Amino acid sequence: MSQTLAIDARNVTKSYGEGEIAQLVLKGCDLRVPAGEFMMLVGPSGSGKTTLLSILGCVLRANGGDIHLFGERISGVRESALPRLRLAYIGFIFQGHNLIASLSAEENVAFQLQMRGWSPRDASKEAQRLLDRVQLGGKYKRLPSELSGGERQRVAICRAVAGNPPIILADEPTASLDAVNGQLVTELLRELARERGHTVVCVTHDNRIFSLADRIVRIEDGLMLGEGAGSHAA
Amino acid sequence: MNAPAQGGPPVISRAVPMAKPLSGRAPLWLRWKTMARVAWGMMFHQKLKLAGTLFGVVFATLLANQQLGTFLGLLYKNTMYVQNSGADVWITAPSVQQLPPGRTISDAALLTARAMPEVEWADGVLIGAATMQLPAGGSEPVTLVGINPERLKGGPWNVVAGEASVLTQPDTVIVEDGEREKLGGLNLGSTRELNGKKVTVGGITWGLVPFGPSYAFADYDLSRRLLKTDRDQMSAVLIGVKPGQDPRDVAEKLRTVLPDVLVRTGPEFEQSIRTYILTQTAIGITFGTSTVFALIVGFVIVSLSMLSSVVDNLREFGTLKAVGTTNLDLTKLLFVQSMTYAIIGSVIGLGLVTRVAGGIRSAKLALVMPPELIIGSIGVMCLLCVAASSLALLRIRKLEPAMVFR
Repeated sequence: MSQTLAIDARNVTKSYGEGEIAQLVLKGCDLRVPAGEFMMLVGPSGSGKTTLLSILGCVLRANGGDIHLFGERISGVRESALPRLRLAYIGFIFQGHNLIASLSAEENVAFQLQMRGWSPRDASKEAQRLLDRVQLGGKYKRLPSELSGGERQRVAICRAVAGNPPIILADEPTASLDAVNGQLVTELLRELARERGHTVVCVTHDNRIFSLADRIVRIEDGLMLGEGAGSHAA
Repeated sequence: MNAPAQGGPPVISRAVPMAKPLSGRAPLWLRWKTMARVAWGMMFHQKLKLAGTLFGVVFATLLANQQLGTFLGLLYKNTMYVQNSGADVWITAPSVQQLPPGRTISDAALLTARAMPEVEWADGVLIGAATMQLPAGGSEPVTLVGINPERLKGGPWNVVAGEASVLTQPDTVIVEDGEREKLGGLNLGSTRELNGKKVTVGGITWGLVPFGPSYAFADYDLSRRLLKTDRDQMSAVLIGVKPGQDPRDVAEKLRTVLPDVLVRTGPEFEQSIRTYILTQTAIGITFGTSTVFALIVGFVIVSLSMLSSVVDNLREFGTLKAVGTTNLDLTKLLFVQSMTYAIIGSVIGLGLVTRVAGGIRSAKLALVMPPELIIGSIGVMCLLCVAASSLALLRIRKLEPAMVFR
């Protein structure tokens, strides 16, 4: 059965620094992620998983290799083209929620929608709908500082899925949350991804949430080591 | 060599359609609006930084306008006599660049002017330094102005007590309110010795204090006697042209028949005085330097405050970049912030300087704040703040969006 590949990365290399101090972080990674998959990328600190995520998210350029998102080649494109690619393909969830401190929960979500061309009015309505979906209905106007850690991360999930980008990249989304909130947030992300058809790549150390993955891919020392199915694998 | 993934990716089957790549992108106006909302949000969220930056703009506006307003006030003091003389054309000695003229001309110029068909009236005026004796001893200088009291061209104006027409009465002068105390508590009817002759105060003006001693007005003949000037000599000839006549044409015609004197229209004479002050005295440089320093200090404060604000919020700017904003979008954000700082700061600064101007307003000192200065100040502050944001912009342009993952 032929299946659309959301991410098709081959032989990706990345090093930091130059000359003798150059440090090769990715040593030729291959990764293929089918559309709709909820994949977890795991590995020890310094293994290169965040670097790979940054490259897939078009915020960092690889030194070598070939990367396609939904068939569009993103490796080798000009620096100035990257923001458009990010808007077209990617929703980010960061380790720290990284919400804009001066904007309310609704405005943080609406901002992303407006950048994707939604009118302010429609963006506001959609932001409220998404916040309702993650049980933040009464907290549209709250600033991030007025929300708990779990609530902030739920707003961050809303921002990531706002406008329905096909790929969600999450970097340790549970790292700053307690066990209960970490589980809840990941479940919520998984539910939203299922409902809306997102492909999710989630970098994590948190083995308590491994069971929510369709597939777990392990990376170590800049190399893909192997993979296993999570309990939700199709 | 990397290890091959075992077995390849699984096949995913979903009842829900897969999310597709997005093609929507905010149009230009919406990007401006969105960036403006974030810009204002960031500005007003950091109230201490907002206050610090606004302080810089307010300080620069206040100091620059105080200096420029005082400078314009001084320029006005030097040109106010020409502006209020009522003359369309002036004839002076060739070397005269400002008032008082210093040198006199003969009455031939006056007679020539009166003979011209385009001239409605022409009067001689005598301006010179005189000394008024004080009741308690000592003396104070005044700038004595002798005019034709029948026509009252060449002053006095702003008469706040008495009447200008009193100058037709013998040995009568009109003095300046701002100098009354200095001249020994003058009032209407007071008598003083002026250059050795007793005169009576018949009127009082307000605000007629030039850069030198205040004006005192007298009948032309009285002034001539007090200043010990020959009967056929005068400081200048003031000319009014007939309705429909262009003063520039009349001045040009006079120049051809009076080659030995300097003929200028009123505005030309005013400009000549301004040019003289700007180029031949240190006043322009002194006030200009203060103004430039005020702008530099404001620039540095705004520049550092905006840079500090960006440095404090690097993660937020990195996030904005990561979620799809471009360097151009962030330039718009800084532009909106700069303009907001400039407009709020300059309005507050101008409000303060206007209050200060009202507070210190006196016959001797005046801050002149014409509309051009006010509009120009806001414009300069906008340019200053936009320029000051360039450091912050450089920092943002260098910012890697990947930093949000660190």
